[in-house]
Amino acid sequence: MYKWIHQFGSPKYFYDISLHLSKWVTIVCIVCFIGGLYGGLVLAPADYQQGDSFRIIYVHVPAAWMSLFIYVILATSGAISLIWHIKITDIIARVSAPIGASFTFLALSTGAIWGKPMWGTYWVWDARLTSELILLFLYLGYIALQSAFDDKRIAARAGAILALIGIINIPIIHYSVEWWSTLHQGPTITKLDKPSIHLTMLIPLILMVIAFKTFYIAIALIKTRSEILKYECNSSWVKKILGN
Amino acid sequence: MSKFSINNLECIRQNNILFKGLNLSMEDGGLLQINGANGSGKSSLLQICAGLIQITTGEVLWNNININQRRYEFQNNILYIGHTNAIKATLTVEENMTIIHSLTGSKSKINYSTILKKIGMSGMNKIFPYNMSAGQKRRLGLTRLFMTKSKLWFLDEPFNALDKEGKKIIENLIINHCAKGGITIFTTHQKMEIDGYPLQSIHLRNNNV
Amino acid sequence: MSEYINIFNVILKRDLMLAFRDKTDFINSLIFFIIVITLFPLTFGTKSTIVNEIIPGMIWISALLATCLSLETIFRSDFEDGSIEQLTLSRYPLTLLVSAKIFAHWITFGMPLIIISLLMGILLSLSNEIIIALFITLILGTPILSLLGSVMVALTIGLRGGMLLNLLILPLSMPVLIFSTVAIQNAALNQSIIAETYFLAGILVLAITLAPLATATALRIRLS
Repeated sequence: MYKWIHQFGSPKYFYDISLHLSKWVTIVCIVCFIGGLYGGLVLAPADYQQGDSFRIIYVHVPAAWMSLFIYVILATSGAISLIWHIKITDIIARVSAPIGASFTFLALSTGAIWGKPMWGTYWVWDARLTSELILLFLYLGYIALQSAFDDKRIAARAGAILALIGIINIPIIHYSVEWWSTLHQGPTITKLDKPSIHLTMLIPLILMVIAFKTFYIAIALIKTRSEILKYECNSSWVKKILGN
Repeated sequence: MSKFSINNLECIRQNNILFKGLNLSMEDGGLLQINGANGSGKSSLLQICAGLIQITTGEVLWNNININQRRYEFQNNILYIGHTNAIKATLTVEENMTIIHSLTGSKSKINYSTILKKIGMSGMNKIFPYNMSAGQKRRLGLTRLFMTKSKLWFLDEPFNALDKEGKKIIENLIINHCAKGGITIFTTHQKMEIDGYPLQSIHLRNNNV
Repeated sequence: MSEYINIFNVILKRDLMLAFRDKTDFINSLIFFIIVITLFPLTFGTKSTIVNEIIPGMIWISALLATCLSLETIFRSDFEDGSIEQLTLSRYPLTLLVSAKIFAHWITFGMPLIIISLLMGILLSLSNEIIIALFITLILGTPILSLLGSVMVALTIGLRGGMLLNLLILPLSMPVLIFSTVAIQNAALNQSIIAETYFLAGILVLAITLAPLATATALRIRLS
C-alpha cells in the first residue's frame, strides 16, 4: 500500500498517467453534461410552483457542492502535505484553488439569479449565503497567499495552514439551513433518507453533479501536469521532455 | 561522546541547486569552518544544520538520530547565532542579557558585569542598543556564547563587524569551547587560520562543493 | 513545569516591556479606534437616529479594524532583528513562547479596546443590557481575534503588499462579528444572549488550544 502511495506521489509517475486518465475523465464528463442538460432542461417537468425558473438548480446545486468539495480537497491536500511532505499534494492544492473559487462564484451568482424570481430579492444576509460568501473570500485569500511567496514549497505549506483553519466554515455552510431559520431551502438530498425530490428531476441533477466533478478532475489533471513541469524543471526527465 | 553528522544533503533555494551529496561528521572537540563566496549557500547550510530549514533530500543526525525526530532533545544542545544579533533595541543591555539567560534554561544567577568585562563592554549595563555601534551590538549578541550550556554551536559569520580585539576574544572562546569537548561550526567569507587548534574546512563554490 | 511557567512569564514581560517602552503602536491603535467610531456619525449626519441604533455594531467593527491593524506588531520586530530564530531554536516549545506573545498582544491592544468601548457605550447612553452584552462579546471576541490573527500574521509577516494580512483575517473574523452583533441585538430586545455567549466561548476555547500550535507551525514554515 505504501509503495503505491509513494509511487502515486512521485511527480513523474503522475505526469505519465495523468494524460491518459484525463482523456477518459473528459469523455465521462461530456456524456454526463449532455445527459444532465437534456434531462434537466427538456425532459424534467416544470415545477408546479416555480415554473421553468427552477431549472437553474441544475447549475446552482452542483456548483455549490463543488465549491465545498474542492475546499475539502484543498484542506486535505494541505494536511497531507504538512504531515507527509508529498509534493504532488502541494501541486493539486495550488491548481484546485482557482477552480474552487470559480465554482463558489458561480454558485453565488446563479443563486442570486434564482433568488430574484423566487424570493423577490437578489441577496439576503442569511447564514448560508453569508458563509458561502466567506468561503469565496477564503479561496481568494488562499490564492493571494500562494502568489505572495516566491518559493512554491513554502507557499504550499503556508496555504495548507490557512485552508485547515478555514475548514470550520464547511460544516457551518452545510448545516446552516438546519441550524438557523433561513430563507434558503432546506436540505433535500441526504444519503440515508428517501429524497423529497421527484425522480425525473433527481436523475438529471445527479448527472450534472457527476459532470461537474469530472470536469474538475479533468481540468485539475491537466493543470497539475503543467505545474509539475514547472516544479521539477531541474530534474533530468523534465529536461528531456522539454528537449533541452 | 556526541556526534553530529550530515548524510547526502542537497539544498535547493529559489530553484538553484546550491550543493548536492554533502556529507559531514563531527565529534567532540570538532571545529569546522564553512567558507565560500556570497550566495554560495553558507548560511543556508548552517540553517539546515540547526534545523531551521527543512530539507527533502538527505538527513541531519544528532547522535545518529534524525533531528526532526527528537527535535527538543536536539535543540536543548545547540546554540545558533545568525547574521542578525537578535537583541532588542529598546531594552537595556542588562535586560537583553536577562532574556537570553532565561532562554538558555540555566538556573544560576547571572553576573552581568563579569560577562560584559569578558566581551569587552564593561560598564555598559544600562545602555540601550540604539546608542551603540554595530560592533558593540554584535558583541552584545555574542554574549550568548558566555551564557549557554550548549554543546553544539552554529555561528553565522561571528567575526562580522568585530575589531581585532573582538575577533581575538571570540576566537579564544571558540577554542576553549572545543577544547572542553564542544563542537563548533561557523561560516566565514574567507578561509581562516586559527592558532593552536586543528580546523576543518568546507569550501562551497557556486554549484559545487 | 515551573520552568515553562517561568519562561512564559519572561516572554510575556518582555513583550509588555517592549510595547510600553515605545508607546506609539499602543496609542495609535486607540486613536484609530476612536477616529473610526466618529466616522460613522459623520457619514450618517448628526441628527439622524440611525446612528443610535447601530452604535454597538459601530463599536464592534471599529474594534475589529483596530485589532487587525495592530496584529503585525506581534512578530514584526522579532522577525526584523532575528529574535524569532532564537525563539524557534530554544529548548522551550515554540507553542508556549508564542502563546505568551499572543497574550501580551491581547493585554496591550485588546484590553484597552474593551475599556474604551465600555466608556464609549456609557458616553453614548447605551442601555445597561447592551453595555453588558458589548462587554461579554468583546471580552470573548478580542482574544479570538488576537489568536486567529497571530496565525495569519505568522503566515504573512514580511511579505510585500501589506493588505494580504487584512484580506485573510477579516473573513475569518466574520463569525465572531456575526455572533457578537446578534447577541447585542438580542440584548437590545431584552432577550437572552446565552446561546451566542456559548458559541463565542466555544470558539475561544478552540482558538486557545489550536491557534498557538498553528502559529508555531506557520513560523517554522516561514523560516524554512
